[in-house]
Amino acid sequence: MKNRVKNFSEEHALWLKKRSFRLAAVQAVRIGILLVLLLFWELSTRLGWADPFLVSSPSRIFSTIGSLYREGTLFYHIGVTLAETLIGFAAAVALGYAIALLLWWSDLLRRVAEPYIVVLNALPKIALGPLIIIWCGTGSKAIVFMTILVGIIVVIMHMLSAFMQTDENKLLLLRSMGANKRQILTKLVIPSTRAAFISMLKVAVGMSWIGSIMGEYIVSRAGLGYLIVYGGQVFKLDLVMTATVLLCLLAAAMYFLVVLLEKILVKNTKN
Amino acid sequence: MKENILTFENVKLIYHTVRGETVATEGLSFTVEEGEFVAIIGPSGCGKSTLLSLAAGLLSPSEGKVVRRGSVGYMLQRDELFAWRTVERNILLPLEIGKKLTPAMREEARALAEKYGLKDFLGSYPTELSGGMRQRAALIRTLAAAPDILLLDEPFSALDYQTRLNVTKDVANIIRRENKTALLITHDISEAISLADRVIVLTGRPARVAHVHTLDFGENDPLKRRENKQFSVWFELLWKELNA
Ligand SMILES: Nc1ncnc2c1ncn2[C@@H]1O[C@H](COP(=O)(O)OP(=O)(O)OP(=O)(O)O)[C@@H](O)[C@H]1O
Ligand SMILES: [Mg+2]
Repeated sequence: MKNRVKNFSEEHALWLKKRSFRLAAVQAVRIGILLVLLLFWELSTRLGWADPFLVSSPSRIFSTIGSLYREGTLFYHIGVTLAETLIGFAAAVALGYAIALLLWWSDLLRRVAEPYIVVLNALPKIALGPLIIIWCGTGSKAIVFMTILVGIIVVIMHMLSAFMQTDENKLLLLRSMGANKRQILTKLVIPSTRAAFISMLKVAVGMSWIGSIMGEYIVSRAGLGYLIVYGGQVFKLDLVMTATVLLCLLAAAMYFLVVLLEKILVKNTKN
Repeated sequence: MKENILTFENVKLIYHTVRGETVATEGLSFTVEEGEFVAIIGPSGCGKSTLLSLAAGLLSPSEGKVVRRGSVGYMLQRDELFAWRTVERNILLPLEIGKKLTPAMREEARALAEKYGLKDFLGSYPTELSGGMRQRAALIRTLAAAPDILLLDEPFSALDYQTRLNVTKDVANIIRRENKTALLITHDISEAISLADRVIVLTGRPARVAHVHTLDFGENDPLKRRENKQFSVWFELLWKELNA
C-alpha cells in the first residue's frame, strides 16, 4: 500500500487492538496447552498413574538429553540425521524440479512417463529396502537414496501439475509476441509457479524426514532413527521418546525456514 | 491508395478434438487497410477469437490464405499483466521477448507510459492499479514493440460500465494519435459504432462475413459519436443484422 492513511479512526484503533489481543490469546493458549500436557505427563508418572518405564516423562527426557550430551553423542546423532535429511531433501527437490521441467517441455515424454510416475507414487518405498541395501550398502548413502526416493515423486507431480496449469491467455499473449519455448519457461512458467514451489517445499520437508528415518530403520548405526530403533530393542523408552522429541524440534525448525523463504520469495505472485 | 495490412482470403479453419471436429470459420474474406480501425461483431461463439489467432499467425488456416504485413500486438479481455513484474517491466516485456530492449526503445516505451498517465506507477505492481489503469498499462505494453497492427479481443468487456466508457475513450485516442491500425473484436454493438471506421458483421458459426459498413461520422471521439443522431440508426441496423 502506498498511501496508507496515518491517522486512524477510533474504531480502527480499537479494531487493531482487538486483533493483536486475539493473536496474543491464541499464542498463549497454544503454549498453555503444551505446558499442561507436559505437566500432566510428568505428574502422572510421579504419582504412579502411569509407568515411567513405559511412557517415559519430560524430566527423564531432559536428563537423557543431558547424558547423551555428556557422552558426546548428542550432536553426533543429530548431525548424522540432519545431514542425511538435508542432502536427500536438496537432491530430491533439485532433481524432481528438473525432471518436472523436462516433462513440461516435452509432450511426448510426459505422456510416456505418466503411468510410470503414477505407479512409483503408489509404491511403498520401504518395499525397496533390501534392494537399496544391496545397491548402496548399509551406510549413509542408502539413507540418502531412500530420502530422495520418497521425496522426488511428490516434487515431480506437484511441480508438473503447477507448470501445466499456466494461464492459457498469458501463454497466448507471449506467443503473439513471438516468444519461444525457453522464453515462455523463464518469463512465465517459472515465475508464475513460485507459490506452488513453496507449497511443494513444505510437503518435501515432511517427505524427506519420513525418508531419512525410514532409511535409518532399515540400515544405519547412527542417527535419531537409529536411536529410536535401538531404544525400542533394548527397551529404553526414554531414549525412544528423547529421539522423537528431537525429531519434532528439527522438523519444525526446517518447516519454519521454508515459511521464512516464502515471505521473501512470494510477494507479488497473487493475481 | 493505402495498402492492405491484413488480408483474409477464403479462410477455413477446423478445430480437431477426439470428440469430433468444429468448423470455426469457412469462406471468410476481408481486408484491413493501413491506418484503419476495423471492428468485428458477431454472435457469441461464432469464431471471433479464432479469427484473431489466425491474424496473429498462431493458427494456420486449413484452407485459404491469411496474408499479413508487419508485426502484431495482441490485447485480451483481461489485462494479463504479470503480477510479479512492476508496471514498467510489464510494459517492456514485448521488447524483452523480441530482443529489442535497446536504450532508445526503452525510453520510447517509458515516454509512452508517461504520456498516458502511468508515470507515477511505473514502479508499482499491477495489484496496486485500478482496473482502468491496468487496461491502459496493457495497451501501452501492446504498443511498446511498435506493432504494425493491433489485435484487440474484447479488451473492455471485463470493466464496469463507467470505467469502460472512459477507458474506451482513452484507448481510442491513443490508437488514433499513434496512428495505429487496429482490428477490434467485440460483441458490444455500441462499442463498435463509437470506435470504428468500418464494422464487419459476422454470421454464426462457421463465421463468414455477413455485412460490411463504413461509418461516416466525420468524428472520432467515441463519446461525441454516442451523442450523434446517426448513432441509434446504426445501432438499430447492426442489431437487426446481428440477430438475423
Ligand atoms: N482450441 C479449441 N479446440 C476445439 N474447439 C475450439 C477451440 N477453440 C475454440 N473452439 C471452438 O470454436 C468455436 C469458435 O470459438 P471462438 O473462441 O473463436 O469464438 P468467439 O466468437 O471468440 O466466442 P466468444 O464470443 O465466446 O468469445 C467455438 O464453438 C469453440 O467451441
Ligand atoms: Mg472470444
